Amino acid sequence: MPSVDRESGAAGAIQPIIVADRICKDFGSLTVLRGVSLEAANHDVISIIGASGSGKSTFLRCLNLLEMPTSGEISIQGEKLDLRPGPEGLVSHDKAQVRRIRSSLGMVFQGFNLWSHMTVLENVMAAPVHVQGKSKAEAREKAEHYLQRVGLYEKRDAYPAFMSGGQQQRAAIARALAMEPAAVLFDEPTSALDPELVGEVLKVIRGLAEEGRTMIVVTHEMAFARDVSSKVLFLHKGEVEEAGPPQEVLRQPRSERLRAFLTRAAV
Amino acid sequence: MYAWQVALDHIPLFLTGLRNTVLLLVVSTIIASVFAVPLALVLTRKMPVAAPIIEAVSYVFRGTPLIVQVYLLYYGLAQFAFIRTSVLWPWLREAWTCLLIAFSLGTCAYLVQILRGAIEAVPHGEVEAARAVGMTPFQTLRIVVLPNAFRRALPSYENEIIFLLHATAIASLVTVIDLVGAGRNFNTIYYFTYEGFAIAGVIYLAIVGVIRLSFGLLERRLLVHLRRAGI
Repeated sequence: MPSVDRESGAAGAIQPIIVADRICKDFGSLTVLRGVSLEAANHDVISIIGASGSGKSTFLRCLNLLEMPTSGEISIQGEKLDLRPGPEGLVSHDKAQVRRIRSSLGMVFQGFNLWSHMTVLENVMAAPVHVQGKSKAEAREKAEHYLQRVGLYEKRDAYPAFMSGGQQQRAAIARALAMEPAAVLFDEPTSALDPELVGEVLKVIRGLAEEGRTMIVVTHEMAFARDVSSKVLFLHKGEVEEAGPPQEVLRQPRSERLRAFLTRAAV
Repeated sequence: MYAWQVALDHIPLFLTGLRNTVLLLVVSTIIASVFAVPLALVLTRKMPVAAPIIEAVSYVFRGTPLIVQVYLLYYGLAQFAFIRTSVLWPWLREAWTCLLIAFSLGTCAYLVQILRGAIEAVPHGEVEAARAVGMTPFQTLRIVVLPNAFRRALPSYENEIIFLLHATAIASLVTVIDLVGAGRNFNTIYYFTYEGFAIAGVIYLAIVGVIRLSFGLLERRLLVHLRRAGI
């Protein structure tokens, strides 16, 4: 049934890549998300900003079910995720669907999370080979292409521990791209980096935005959010406080909270 | 010099000892390793019922001297009529069976804990990255968790094998001619205490040398990702 949806979407109207509807998330008695919705069309770059603890990362992690929402609905490329209420929030009964959805959404983590016992090339090849069933030769070709893209082709045989944070994060971006995902989720991709390494990673992400890739970026980099995104979401205490094009949201914030946040972030 | 001459004449005796020691070491290590992996996984998952049982059994085997376990199996089991009459008795009355059971279980009890620690030390972010690309739980284990954990466990694993090698000397107390048994037999016949046990000791050293060399090669191959310049 989901495939029918996808086909009709491809044939007909422009279908959003990601639709998240009223996502709520509780951790025990702590409510982190109170009904956050988002729609990402093809080529959208959506920046999610907000103070720490506002639920940005949790929301992003709900999109590929690394975190299970307590309630809400998610559709990826028109395919609605089979989530049913369980004792502690939603549960998926279709594990294959979850894996398929995950492999169609690349994810880049704050802490890179490269597999430490594999070389960079092996890291980038792993998912295409083991998850998508590509041949080694094909996966290798693709991996080398994307490593070239992020400027790490020469480092392909290095192990993560031998590389700088910026290089590791670029390798992680190549790993996400190698699955040729419909969208890429970035979870504070530059927050763990030394200031002088932030630039090289942002440059790669900017390049991807210019290519027209669909991306959702949780970030503290206001300049990046302003220049690159098509839409900005400001989260406050688990709710969308303001959303819209960056020139509106970041230049003319309506709420006192966003104004205060931007003043603090600008310093 | 005469004593060494006599010892040279008894090389077959020491070779028998070497063979039995190596046999006990290798078979017990293999059995222990095979069981340790799934048991360690049960522990890290904190499975109800199974995990506490494994913890308890592991505690008993680590908490009592190996020699006590061997004596309980080899001499103790015969006290129980239902064991003497069971179909397993022809095996259980053999010293070899008792030794292999004690060595395997004893080593397994330690390996389980070593592996559990190594698995738990795999960075959570790496597991999360595996889930995020859509790997199944089994793939996550096979491609990310276990290769990482085995590498971490390697130095402790080597230690454990060396401990077991020395522990196999217990075999000489229950009729099996291992290296110590060979040295003692030699001493019993000729009263050449020094020569007999020195030969056994040198052979132990050589075995440890082989183990160290093998693990050194393994580490050079498998631990490159940890060997950073200057450390």
